[in-house]
Amino acid sequence: MTEAILSVENLSLRYRVPGGAVHVLRDVRLAIRPGEVLGIAGESGCGKSTLAAAMIDLTGANAERTSGAIRLRGEDILHLSADDRRRLRGAEVAMVFQDPMTAFSPVLTIGAQLVDFQFNRTGASRRDKWQAACGMLARVGISDPDHAMRRFPHEFSGGMRQRAAIAAALLMRPAVLIADEPTTALDVTMEAQIIHLLRELQADYGCAIVIVTHHLGVIAELCDRVAVMYAGQVVEEAPVDDLYHDPRHPYTQALLACDPARIEERSGRLPAIGGRLPDLRTPPPGCAFAPRCSKATARCLTDAPPRVVLGPDRSALCHEVAP
Amino acid sequence: MTDELLAIEGLGVDLPSGGWLPSRGRPAINILSGVTLDLKRGETLGLVGESGSGKTTLARAVLGLQPISAGTLRFDGAPLESGSDFRAIRRRTALMFQDAAASLSPRMSVGEAVVEPFVIHRAPAGDRRAKALDLLAEVGLPPEMAARYPHELSGGQARRVGVARALALKPALVIADEPTAGLDVSVQAEILNLMADLKDRHGLSYLIITHNLALIRHVADRIAVLYLGRLVETGPTAEIFARPRHPYTQSLIAAEPRPDPRLRRADLAIRGEVPGILRRPTGCEFHTRCPIARDICRSTAPALHTIGTGHFARCHFPETTKKGG
Repeated sequence: MTEAILSVENLSLRYRVPGGAVHVLRDVRLAIRPGEVLGIAGESGCGKSTLAAAMIDLTGANAERTSGAIRLRGEDILHLSADDRRRLRGAEVAMVFQDPMTAFSPVLTIGAQLVDFQFNRTGASRRDKWQAACGMLARVGISDPDHAMRRFPHEFSGGMRQRAAIAAALLMRPAVLIADEPTTALDVTMEAQIIHLLRELQADYGCAIVIVTHHLGVIAELCDRVAVMYAGQVVEEAPVDDLYHDPRHPYTQALLACDPARIEERSGRLPAIGGRLPDLRTPPPGCAFAPRCSKATARCLTDAPPRVVLGPDRSALCHEVAP
Repeated sequence: MTDELLAIEGLGVDLPSGGWLPSRGRPAINILSGVTLDLKRGETLGLVGESGSGKTTLARAVLGLQPISAGTLRFDGAPLESGSDFRAIRRRTALMFQDAAASLSPRMSVGEAVVEPFVIHRAPAGDRRAKALDLLAEVGLPPEMAARYPHELSGGQARRVGVARALALKPALVIADEPTAGLDVSVQAEILNLMADLKDRHGLSYLIITHNLALIRHVADRIAVLYLGRLVETGPTAEIFARPRHPYTQSLIAAEPRPDPRLRRADLAIRGEVPGILRRPTGCEFHTRCPIARDICRSTAPALHTIGTGHFARCHFPETTKKGG
């Protein structure tokens, strides 16, 4: 098994809020290997975006790590100096956000920003950087990149902006690219094209990609492995085929069961999970999913569930799952 | 009494182009053109298409919120022409907005919000408080919700309040603009099931606007596909999904990422983007992205061809069905 390039080790993180704290990540363990595409799936509030932000140390000022580490090539990035961390971002780990509008400053041209993003390349001239940026825009499928370099972000369509954001992220050839809901703001035809592009770029550059999304279709199209999150925990981790064809955690099963795209028969009524997410200001002592779980027994409500290893690269956080 | 509830015939909407200065002399931008569509009593019609295809403009035109430049509208047999016609139907139609939380006034409690339609339409509500609780019960919200404010609601609860407001005046037609956008799949199903229950209970008709094909396949009886303000295909849902005839419909269905890694696509179903509305392509609007476009498509706009009962496609070659893949 190859060494992880980025690993999240027993990370717990909370956000300070008036009157207490919200425990958004609880003992999360995850390893990203060089060149793989890892999907982080889950619904609103499960902590997936916080986890993505933590991987590049961009969590908000009210975030507080209570335990654990995030290691890039073995080094804990949360212990680096501010300067070192800044050097790391973009160069080693880059990020693509959901809203391609806010990824760029509205007052500078795309070209000027793509040149600025290469500030770490001390040896290169401005001309080199311009050319590198131009080449990258062409690579991500923007026709007439010379013209595009002189445009402002508002002159781009949503799809073009997301392409440009991906170009910006890849400029410094990062080892890990983190994409938080990269296709959510786009139409389905553009979504398909961005998925296709990410797949091609991954093959060309060999960087590891972490895709955070609630869209199970996007994960199925793109990822090698999947981590499913619920209430701040990774509840199941599996290779992509296993996850979709043999889900083991009751939450994963329920989530897949209510995706209308997976239901072949047309039906006027669709399955729902029912119930609500637990309040993470006071995380439940037992399994967080137990109140909504059809398989839950008495111990699920009181005892924290064990992480059951189900095979290589497979585990589930559940009392009831058989190894 | 016929079973037709809403009839749209040859609907066109033009907007003055650019700027806030008076638009005299400037060419108008054509947003919708030649849209002919009807909705039967008790039917659910799905209106699909990408951003900028004119879905929301169509809904606004039907409600009289958008002046129309061509065509006629008929609701329940009566023509809709003047402002007072539209005011009259607005009591019998309801709109569910895309952003449910933002469509609620932050200063109005849920209880006040759900009976606001009575105030707006000066309709007798009897005991407003009792009415509010009835409406909340109808959409599955507990009575204590009446005292809450919008910022205290979850996404799903805000949707339910939106449904309750839509139902208040017992409408015949509910227009829902992306009714589940931004909701998690587990909650999305609850809202759709609620809408289906209410439809059965009150004999509602729905016009559902969405770009979510996976969802519309389960809820709509018929589907209408818009591309750049033109209706490109309409027909029964099952038929459209089994045998889409317009290349755009085929691409849309094929582009949807499928939640099964064994069905990964190697090729791209559709390339490029929707052309800007200011640079509307000549001939068939879709020819710039169409895999089967020929010369005639670039020069001549196709007519609507009848494929089967209630199934139409606006394409020169509707028989050339490329397998959806």
